[in-house]
Amino acid sequence: MEAFLLGASEVLSPVTLAMMLAGAIAGIIAAAIPGFTVTMAIVLTLPLTFTMDPLQGISVMLSVYVGGYTGGLISAALLGIPGTPSSVATTFDAFPMARNGEPGRALSLGVWASFFGTIISTLVLIVAAPPLAIFAVRLGPWEYFSLIVFALTIVASLVGNSLQRGLIAALIGLAISTVGADPIMGRPRFDMGWELLAAGLPFLVVLIGIFAISQLASEVEDAEAIKRGEKLIDGEIEFKTWEVMREVLMRPVNLIRSSMVGVAIGALPGAGGSIANLVAYDQAKRASKTPEAFGKGTPDGVVASEAGNSATAGGGLIPLISLGIPGSAVDAILMASLMVHGISVGPRLIMDNADLVYGMFLAMAVSSLMMLVVCVLSMRAFLRVAEVPKWVVVPVVLVCCVVGSFALNNRVTDLYLLAAVGLLGYALRALDYPLAPLVLGVILGPIAETNLRRALMTDPDWSLFLTRPVSLIFLVAAVLSVAWAIRGILKSRSQARSGKEPT
Amino acid sequence: MSELDTGASRQGAGEIARLLSYVALLAVSVGLFLEARAMPTSRFEILGAGAFPMIVHGCLSLLLVVSIIGALRRIPAAAYAGFGAAAATWLREKRLVLVLFACLALYVAAMPVIGYPVATLLFLIVVQVTLAPKTRGAIATAIVLSLVFSFGLNWLFAEVFNVFLPRGH
Repeated sequence: MEAFLLGASEVLSPVTLAMMLAGAIAGIIAAAIPGFTVTMAIVLTLPLTFTMDPLQGISVMLSVYVGGYTGGLISAALLGIPGTPSSVATTFDAFPMARNGEPGRALSLGVWASFFGTIISTLVLIVAAPPLAIFAVRLGPWEYFSLIVFALTIVASLVGNSLQRGLIAALIGLAISTVGADPIMGRPRFDMGWELLAAGLPFLVVLIGIFAISQLASEVEDAEAIKRGEKLIDGEIEFKTWEVMREVLMRPVNLIRSSMVGVAIGALPGAGGSIANLVAYDQAKRASKTPEAFGKGTPDGVVASEAGNSATAGGGLIPLISLGIPGSAVDAILMASLMVHGISVGPRLIMDNADLVYGMFLAMAVSSLMMLVVCVLSMRAFLRVAEVPKWVVVPVVLVCCVVGSFALNNRVTDLYLLAAVGLLGYALRALDYPLAPLVLGVILGPIAETNLRRALMTDPDWSLFLTRPVSLIFLVAAVLSVAWAIRGILKSRSQARSGKEPT
Repeated sequence: MSELDTGASRQGAGEIARLLSYVALLAVSVGLFLEARAMPTSRFEILGAGAFPMIVHGCLSLLLVVSIIGALRRIPAAAYAGFGAAAATWLREKRLVLVLFACLALYVAAMPVIGYPVATLLFLIVVQVTLAPKTRGAIATAIVLSLVFSFGLNWLFAEVFNVFLPRGH
């Protein structure tokens, strides 16, 4: 109790709170700009925390982290471009909702879902950190590969108009992930001797190219409308704060399920928000009584995606606090910031620095509250983005994408890849290929390959995938997931057929 | 030609465009499958660097072959005749998209030579003036925004974040 109060007194001091507020605002703005990510915002914040106390520094970084997970929803809802990889699924329903004339509701739903997702994940973090962490790190490459096989079945929910083209897009994504040095031995693959392909296709460049560039290009398709000064979105600029809060709370099952998905995936080293939002969305769609409404602007889709990605913030801290293992790049930077202050992160962290750990728990909750306050107060300003004419937004956001892609690795060659991938994305979009499965393939490809090869290097026996219990559970879940998807497709086909028959 | 005919002809052209995309993807996928097959396996593991790409390209090629067969059976023979005209119409309608991609290509190609601020200034002015309504207010806005997002952003990154955008030769 003494340690908790000590941590609380530091986190709740006016100076720390003011810095956390600035951090939350910086995180939201950074993630709202397409091409800029939470990781980038955290990296830029790190040097600023060197002069602060350890808890103060980590609290500021946590506020950037929490703010960043929410900020991605702004461009996802208003521009149809995921501000960060963790808001890919948010575009599926928040953007159609905004286009249907309810941009304020779309943003508000996302903000509230993010807030509750973070709070739920903090509660889980406090209660279940040690046992969950031990479970997560006991998973071997067999379990990871089976988990990725299960995650790949999400494709069935993202295929759009054609299952065949959805599968092709997912396989193109997996194929893109194989370009460059192979993840185990570092052998060059498919680089055609070109320097720009030798390092592979960076995931973020692919994401920005596929989603942002192609979306921006499609905004200028109608030459007449753009010359008239058409805006991005015409609709009600109304945030409806409390009404939407009730709307989110009226979906407790979706909210808790999506948050739990986020926590579980966040706790797995190497996974993170970019997968959690898609898995949470997929689970919400499968559990829904109206799955056909998904992708057309249903509130359930926005809630699932945003609660799922925000909950990974707490989930990612579970292995970090309990075992000193960072679950993602952002967690690694948080760990580095503690190590800079001479705090060794590992299983003894909670024993040696209990005030710091309790302070981190509290900082998570305070950060999410700050994010909520900042969003509620400033969302009207963000909504003004929707009133800016397309001829302004398209070129300016394109420049932001270019700067963001360059700043990732300081490589000009990444910009050539960005333009090429953007063109590919636009071509695929024009040909009615769904783009989400492609991005899923790019995310999951390297994890699947690494773990498959690592498993067989450890033991060449293939049957281990079936005899290790957790691996078997994931594989059975994958089979059930595919069966469920096939059932859904057959059902919708028979409904379509019976609808066509004359009565 | 009636609106219904135009719609049907567009749908047919779309199907043909997709068929062409399947064929192009199949050619690339088969090529990469063969390249992956030629990769030597390591003595340290059962699967080599080429195994996973072979699985991916094998599945992709199979799926593309099925898609090609399906598309060939679906597309009526008459649709092929109108494909050239439909493609030309589509390209004409999407001329601003083509202009945008051409400007983007020139922009990223010029950036290492003339540097971020100048390349961005030119890119923003050209694209905004192309897309904007031709009014004085719009042109003035375009110029101000171009200066802010070229020289302004370059200053912000260099002075505040210590990230140096391409400076040119």
